Amino acid sequence: MSVSIGIDVGGTFTDIVLVDVQGNAVAGKVLSTPSDQGEGVEQALRAHAPSAERVNRIVHGTTVVTNLLLERSGARMVLCATRGATDLLELRRQDRASLYDLSMHHPPALVAPSDVVAADERVAPEGVVRELTAAHAAEVAQMVAERRPDIVAIALLHAFAFADHERLLATHVRARLPGVDVVCSSDVLPEIREYERTATTCCEAYARPRVARYLSGLTGRLRALGMPAPGVVSSSGGIVPADRAAEAAASLALSGPAGGVSGAALVARLAGFDDALSIDIGGTSADVGLILHGEPLVEAGGEVAGIPIALPRVLVETVSAGGGSIGWIDDGGALRVGPRSAGSVPGPVAFGRGGTQPTVTDAHVVLGNISASRISANLSLDVHGARQAIQELAGPLGASAERTAQAMIATADAAMARALRRVSVERGVDPRRCVLVAFGGAGPLHACGLADALDMRRILIPPHAGVLSALGLAVAPARRSATRSMMRASTAISDERLRRTVAELAATCDLAPGRHLAAVARMRFQGQGHEMEIPFDPAEGIDGLVRQFRHRHFGRYGFVLSVDPVVVSVRATVSDDALPVALARTHGIGWDPLTASDDGGPSDARVVGRATIALPNATLLVADGWTARALPIGGWLVEKEG
Amino acid sequence: MNETREFDPLALSVVGHAVSMVAEEMGTLLERGALSPNIRERRDASCALFDAHGRMIAQAAHIPVHLGAMPESVRAVRECQPRAGDVYLLNDPFRGGSHLPDLTLVEAIGADDGTVIGFAAVRAHHADVGGMSPGSMPQGATELMQEGIVIPPIRVAGADGWIADVLALVLANVRTPEERRGDLEAQRAACAAGRDGWRALRARLGAARLVEACDALLDYTERRARATIRRLDGASGSARDQLEGDGVSESDIVVAVAIAAHGDCLRIDFTGTAPAVAGNVNCPLAVTRAACVFALRTMLEDDVPTNDGIARAIDLIVPHGCAINAVWPSAVAAGNVEMSQRITDTLFAAFADAGVVVPAQGQGTMNNITFGGAGWTFYETLGGGQGASMCGDGPSAVHVGMSNTRNTPIESLELAYPLRIDEYAIRRQSGGGGKHRGGDGVVRRYRVLEPCTVTLLTERRRHAPAGAYGGFPGQPGRNLLNGVPIPAKCRMLLQPGDVVTVETPGGGGWGQAAG
Repeated sequence: MSVSIGIDVGGTFTDIVLVDVQGNAVAGKVLSTPSDQGEGVEQALRAHAPSAERVNRIVHGTTVVTNLLLERSGARMVLCATRGATDLLELRRQDRASLYDLSMHHPPALVAPSDVVAADERVAPEGVVRELTAAHAAEVAQMVAERRPDIVAIALLHAFAFADHERLLATHVRARLPGVDVVCSSDVLPEIREYERTATTCCEAYARPRVARYLSGLTGRLRALGMPAPGVVSSSGGIVPADRAAEAAASLALSGPAGGVSGAALVARLAGFDDALSIDIGGTSADVGLILHGEPLVEAGGEVAGIPIALPRVLVETVSAGGGSIGWIDDGGALRVGPRSAGSVPGPVAFGRGGTQPTVTDAHVVLGNISASRISANLSLDVHGARQAIQELAGPLGASAERTAQAMIATADAAMARALRRVSVERGVDPRRCVLVAFGGAGPLHACGLADALDMRRILIPPHAGVLSALGLAVAPARRSATRSMMRASTAISDERLRRTVAELAATCDLAPGRHLAAVARMRFQGQGHEMEIPFDPAEGIDGLVRQFRHRHFGRYGFVLSVDPVVVSVRATVSDDALPVALARTHGIGWDPLTASDDGGPSDARVVGRATIALPNATLLVADGWTARALPIGGWLVEKEG
Repeated sequence: MNETREFDPLALSVVGHAVSMVAEEMGTLLERGALSPNIRERRDASCALFDAHGRMIAQAAHIPVHLGAMPESVRAVRECQPRAGDVYLLNDPFRGGSHLPDLTLVEAIGADDGTVIGFAAVRAHHADVGGMSPGSMPQGATELMQEGIVIPPIRVAGADGWIADVLALVLANVRTPEERRGDLEAQRAACAAGRDGWRALRARLGAARLVEACDALLDYTERRARATIRRLDGASGSARDQLEGDGVSESDIVVAVAIAAHGDCLRIDFTGTAPAVAGNVNCPLAVTRAACVFALRTMLEDDVPTNDGIARAIDLIVPHGCAINAVWPSAVAAGNVEMSQRITDTLFAAFADAGVVVPAQGQGTMNNITFGGAGWTFYETLGGGQGASMCGDGPSAVHVGMSNTRNTPIESLELAYPLRIDEYAIRRQSGGGGKHRGGDGVVRRYRVLEPCTVTLLTERRRHAPAGAYGGFPGQPGRNLLNGVPIPAKCRMLLQPGDVVTVETPGGGGWGQAAG
């Protein structure tokens, strides 16, 4: 009986979920090991995995790239750029870091100005304007070598359309520096806009050596256990084999959060929902995602630690609001919550670990939403301390502790609701037709408040809510994608060319029987600057694609233009089916009506708000006007009455 | 929800998030749907929501020059007594506008019973609105009428859609009518999003409570602005600075200001500023107010909601008919972009004179550059050095003061226009020295491939951005044609192969360097 394993490394815990062929899921946790995440992964496997021969595959979500970007601890690299355009990373897009804080700086670039080498060459839309000669390429390689880089990035102007100069330069650099890897922008991101392409290419180079070391170390550890080489989930939610992931390092920057949204999508599908908004609320922040037609929304763009990475990624927006967010009164007399957080240390006042400032969790304690027994076996809640801290906050406002606690929760909800609305409305999705999937330690507490603020009528509280990312990883499909720049008016693209482009891209992604091909075109009207991502069927030809685009543009903006659309690029994604999994309530003692606790066992309970339900790692608050039903797959469906 | 009459201070942040969210959605729709690079890439646009009394409740500002300037537009539209669902268009600088390229749409939001319950306003800088030169940012204009079509508040759409003949009249007076149509469509879509969001908010809160919430939000912002002013502790100071000519003559144009914090009110008096000039660096009062609101806004916490409450804490005195309170038919195209910068610079200098710790002067110009040839126009502005501050060096290559637009990617520019960028680089060592260095400017070198004209509207080419607290000034900017210096404000005919270089100013340094 073979088992698929998902392992998600977080800041505190490394979560592991095992799914067998019957679809039974088992979860566990070990402490994370920040200096080498692989150690924690190994410990998790030793503690929870079955014998090695039963392990079919291991899928890993990692924060290695995110951390090295935050800590600025990546590789020392040299960047080769077109002469006259060597300062692009410093110039950015010329907007300042803060509209009103005039001394704020953007985060520093990943390459120092002295480590940028100019290449005398120039390509323009009409073709090569200044040839890169072999002799000059050799000179550039020499200048690169003198700087003794760990890795070399090459990003030349217009390389999205014409890559020959980058290739020639790469050949010379490789010859001059055997053993040093070279990363070209035309391979990493063949798309127009030099700043975003250069920055993404540099991010790839910056992260690659460290990622390669980490993954080969991890593969070694697993081999020693007799287990298969791991797959790594990329920012776009698909699995990349470890040996290949090292060459797509920049695409791992959002590996962790992508797993969470994938897990939410899985549970939404199993519960019979197509479109969902997901929110994972932790101690200091909340991650918001969008699920359409049962799949996490993937689109290009975004920044990690101030570095733009214009690659496809599962959309995740992070807000600084969570259980540890601190309430305070500002100089205008308004109650505020966050962005400061008490984190896990010192934590909320109620946890008695030294916290003195009132947090959102304390507000829940004061209102009786959290009961002591459910937090953890060896933790007793300091209800009195929590009340006192909130009372101190309430004093100057002349309000009661209860009202202040309610207001703190409503304020945190408002910040999170704004993010939920932003990710949906910006993409033309009405949140009212979505189900809200709420998880993480504080998700089930805030779900009803958020749904009320957004006029949403259905909430899904997933089973295994504490390890949902790992569950998403365990069943994630293998997925590869490839992009090609088009930069052409739709009228200049034949049906044949469109079909051939998709077919060629699909071939580079190992399209094989049993795998699915999805094609997406990035399009805009001639003259617009923002592309829409249009899924299309190449069999319907260019007319079908244009029809789709106009339809979606009208749906989104309420108008279409008479000018021709432009196809900026085409992306093909090839994926396997997600692993089948049939979650069920099979373990534990089930529903205990006396304590209103759900241990995940068989139950058909129905709970009318206002009530709280104690879940294995969290508390579900069913608000007034809402009714919760235990789901056969585990977890709860909470619906608005009337 | 609580049923108290007095608005609950505990619920302020909640309702603040709710209205900001609506304004933000308007901004996203506009930016993504628009055609003009000015709107979509450079975000030279703003969206705001107003209550039934025309008070601005929330603004999604990408660009400070629109701060506090849009209430004038809504006031002008309210004078026309709009009915629910009417959408008005305007750009007249003396009837609610700023400069002609800024087209503003204002929708009167109706309740189900047909009463007007608020306004959604969207202002965007269009790439061309006619007038004597492509791009409608002419150099040398001396009357408003030369700068483009002048549109007083006029009903341009209703519940049934555009009013075709009004739209046709407007589009017949611009160089790129289809692009204008697209941008106006995007603006109307943004207004509609504001209308829907405002209605939904009213449905959720109830009409009475929404009114209370608006009052409370305005009072709240005002309280925070006044709390900041009170901390200035009676400070007073004054400053003078100047613009380097109006595009007609090279003479300096003086901006003078005295500021005084009286208790919790900030008095700003521009008496002594030069009278309106012949050229187009004048600006209407709305732009001057925006600069004052911006200067105060930089001293507030980042999270203060942007609404009319900030302006309430300012007592503004600007002599009628002076260059920064211009009257019809003064030309104003460059006032919005360049005079607004100088007003800000002068204000900060006055704060420094009053002993308030503020950064040294930044580049103080937007470096407006327009190329126009047969059937095409390209306009952009360039970043430069920010002044250094007590906290550290000034950022390099950014927009300072009243602008925050993004650059045009070289690759996009070269694909769309017969222009090539031979160099785009940091102008090293252009920031002023000091304990903290001013930020560096940029160098941008354009080579033209076709006969065309170039129009430059730039500043700080003679008078360098000043240092503060003993720091050195930044380098003034330079404009060059084929390596030979050309004026700060000029219009020239170019032939294929000509090279225009713009070197933008560095920011001033802060404090004396050690040793």
